[in-house]
Amino acid sequence: MDSLRLDNILFDKVTVNFDDRFTLSEIDWTIEPNQHWVITGTNGSGKSALAAVLAGVGDIENGTVTGLPKNVGLVSFEAQAELIAKELKKDDADIMDVISLGTPVHEMIFDNCRDPELAQTLVEKFGLSKLLDRAFRKLSTGETRKVMLIRALSSKPDLLILDEPFDGLDVDTLAMLQAHLASIIDTTPMILVLNRFDEMPDFITHVAYMDNGKLTITVDKQDENAFNELYQLLHLKTTDLSVPEADPANKLPALDPSQPLVKLNKATIQYGDTVIVDKLDWTIEQGQHWQLSGPNGSGKTGVLSLITGDHPQCYTNDIFVFGFQRGNGESIWQIKQFIGYVSTSLQWEYRVSTSCKNVIISGFYDSIGMYTKATDNQKKIADQWLELLGMKDRADQPFNKLSYGDQRLLLIARAMVKHPPLLILDEPCLGLDDMNRQLVLALIEKICEGKETTVLYVNHHAEDQIKGIENYLGLKKN
Amino acid sequence: MANYFNTLPLREQLAELAKCRFMNSSEFSDGVEALKGKKMVVIGCGAQGLNQGLNLRDSGLDVSYALRPEAIAQKRQSWKNATENGFVVGTYEDLIPTADVVLNLTPDKQHTPVVQAVMPLMKQGACLSYSHGFNIVEEGMKIREDLTVIMVAPKCPGSEVRAEYVRGFGVPTLIAVHEDNDPKGEGLALAKAYAVGTGGHKAGVLMSSFIAEVKSDLMGEQTILCGMLQTGSILCFDKMVEEGIDPGYASRLIQFGWETITEALKYGGVTNMLDRLSNPAKIKAFDLSEELKVIMRPLYNKHQDDIISGHFSQTMMEDWANDDKNLLQWRADTAETNFEKTPAGDVEISEQEFFDNGILMVAMVKAGVELAFETMTAAGIIAESAYYESLHETPLIANTIARKKLYEMNATISDTAEYGCYLYNHACVPLLADFMKDIKTDVIGKGLSVEDNGVDNKRLIEVNAALRSHPVEAVGAVLRGHMADMKKIV
Repeated sequence: MDSLRLDNILFDKVTVNFDDRFTLSEIDWTIEPNQHWVITGTNGSGKSALAAVLAGVGDIENGTVTGLPKNVGLVSFEAQAELIAKELKKDDADIMDVISLGTPVHEMIFDNCRDPELAQTLVEKFGLSKLLDRAFRKLSTGETRKVMLIRALSSKPDLLILDEPFDGLDVDTLAMLQAHLASIIDTTPMILVLNRFDEMPDFITHVAYMDNGKLTITVDKQDENAFNELYQLLHLKTTDLSVPEADPANKLPALDPSQPLVKLNKATIQYGDTVIVDKLDWTIEQGQHWQLSGPNGSGKTGVLSLITGDHPQCYTNDIFVFGFQRGNGESIWQIKQFIGYVSTSLQWEYRVSTSCKNVIISGFYDSIGMYTKATDNQKKIADQWLELLGMKDRADQPFNKLSYGDQRLLLIARAMVKHPPLLILDEPCLGLDDMNRQLVLALIEKICEGKETTVLYVNHHAEDQIKGIENYLGLKKN
Repeated sequence: MANYFNTLPLREQLAELAKCRFMNSSEFSDGVEALKGKKMVVIGCGAQGLNQGLNLRDSGLDVSYALRPEAIAQKRQSWKNATENGFVVGTYEDLIPTADVVLNLTPDKQHTPVVQAVMPLMKQGACLSYSHGFNIVEEGMKIREDLTVIMVAPKCPGSEVRAEYVRGFGVPTLIAVHEDNDPKGEGLALAKAYAVGTGGHKAGVLMSSFIAEVKSDLMGEQTILCGMLQTGSILCFDKMVEEGIDPGYASRLIQFGWETITEALKYGGVTNMLDRLSNPAKIKAFDLSEELKVIMRPLYNKHQDDIISGHFSQTMMEDWANDDKNLLQWRADTAETNFEKTPAGDVEISEQEFFDNGILMVAMVKAGVELAFETMTAAGIIAESAYYESLHETPLIANTIARKKLYEMNATISDTAEYGCYLYNHACVPLLADFMKDIKTDVIGKGLSVEDNGVDNKRLIEVNAALRSHPVEAVGAVLRGHMADMKKIV
């Protein structure tokens, strides 16, 4: 009788090189007996590579992997390709003057098979009975995949690794395979590599998320919040949605492209004798993304609020914004219409009991909460944003009941909904855990793909950088 | 100076008292245009002065602050408030002569000296604006005939006036034009533009009169708003402690109870507040409130009569002249009450528990709101005004008690309201002495202990019908409908 292996599989700061094509770095990971994992991530994130390491592939350059079982069953496109390549080579290598048919399917399945009875059952279930005499290399891609699956399943593996096992299977076969996997969970620990969350079988207990060659997040499926957030992250990273259009009915006044968006001339903020910002000159041209950094108390938020009009001393400074020289009878709403703004304090202030959808729509009005009736088009656009965020099902939920990270995502959508010429992100990741941080950054990257918005990103770590930002302003504490 | 209201013939008194109309938002389509480019000078830089000024400036208007020379020389708080916010600050002589609009946002009791100092400096045809009509109506201040006199009164504390504006909204605002002083007929246009400048037009504006504002405001604040809550706090606390309830629990139940139960009032009127109770508790609260209304009605009538006749303002002004001797004494006495001195205990009270264990508090709010409303409308004040000055503002005052008990309430409200509140409390506590003797913990502190929740159908139908058919509910439903947007915030 098969029994679960007893050791933990332990990755300790593991760096693996794959023929210099790809590197996994600094992987820390523990797989306990009785756990069934899904590895997920975007294309090229290294999820298949991580699965392959479990099957002994790749050169471990640093760190240690312990507890790997000997008999590992692996089904993956790479393994499939390798097997087929091997078959083709056999053909090339054949020097006899006969036409080689290659290895027949029954040989592929039953030679060295540890559980022929199971293999036979699976052959029938997969509908391969009539193909047993055919050459393996003559099979279609889907058929070779089925053969691979049968080989792996009937090898009584100590660890079963299935990389995208459901891809390209028809509905019936899929259901059959899922049912079979579910029937062996007590005897066979499994690692599945999946692109799509909705394919995840119920028996999965843990999820590993790969990003850029690193294992960045592991989630216990019982932690529902974390699981949902990971779902959203994957949704943002993998779906090919673009940022929804602006509302043509809320068209902003045109800005003169020859003028800068913002020009601070010797801007100063002072309370009594304490000078917070001292004679700062700063010009932000259209399309020029900036990062503003500096330690706490260096006046970052003060400078921003001079631009947004939230700082009362914007009236005592020489400030030009969006065509207005401040203090000449313009209202702050004329200024704010050009700005999308996200900060932690906005999130604190946004404590109204309104729906998620209304929070997004309120971006059209630069208000906290909604005080006018939204148009149908605004509602439609808000729905598109909810879709983009993977929060469609939460449109009518109260904003203040959402997780901190989800609130932040909604506020970014709120800031972007009108496609503002200037988007100010004041420490957008502050207070967020790793997963939410990645969610927010993924969303910002999505936004930066658009052209009409100039991004002003504020962070007190100068080293935290966002792709596409080339201008830096560092403030010092006075 | 003589009480202005008392100089008017009855016919005009009644006409002025009955002025109150909820304005349509289309009436504000001109925005701040009427004030654009005009020089607005604010006198006083306290909470109302500063926050209204911030809003007006952010609406694109030209705002500066005139302070007394000693406030400037000694760099007092008002000077700091204005300068740190980047406003131009000057003396009356510096700024008033060129002002197109002078906004008098000082406390009531400074109005007479301030207006007397400012009026001679004001240029011909300028506008003088108030946030409260006490000086004009009760003190009978006569304003130079060439000057336009208006009132713009946001119905919230200054900090909320600002906070709501920044959110893109505003607070409900009352505007009025003093008809004796509208030589150019521009008073209404200026008042409307001012209301837009503070954001008030987004939350609803009531067109009223100086007289209706003063007489209803005084009545509301001294009876239901502050007086009833203060008396109720003291009586309910002492009763619970007397009945052996943990003082920390009693203190918490009251401090946060008013806020919780009046939240229900804000959303759905007295009906909704009572609907939050179980059927037997609702009937109990109803019966208690009916009893309270009978006992307290003469007191509400007396307050309204004294306000209408000018007796109240006269006695209060005597105290002003006497260095606020009474006010300061009564303030000190309030700080010494057991409720005030007992900190809220570290116990969890669920939202529903505030209702279930605070039946008497619910009854007191209901009785106070209905009595104030009935008394005001009987005195000729129109239902809309009466609604705002009773039911609408009760949750706002309850919030201040939740923050820091009676001290915070009395610190937040005007000295005028505070003075009236103490008068009410001094009369009401003894008035309810007998009533309180029969009160047990079933209606305050522990809740009803009923075997089953059954009630007599007929009685429940009667109670529900009585609740729903009260006139404050009818006008409330309409006005809350106008302010549908507001429900989402505050």
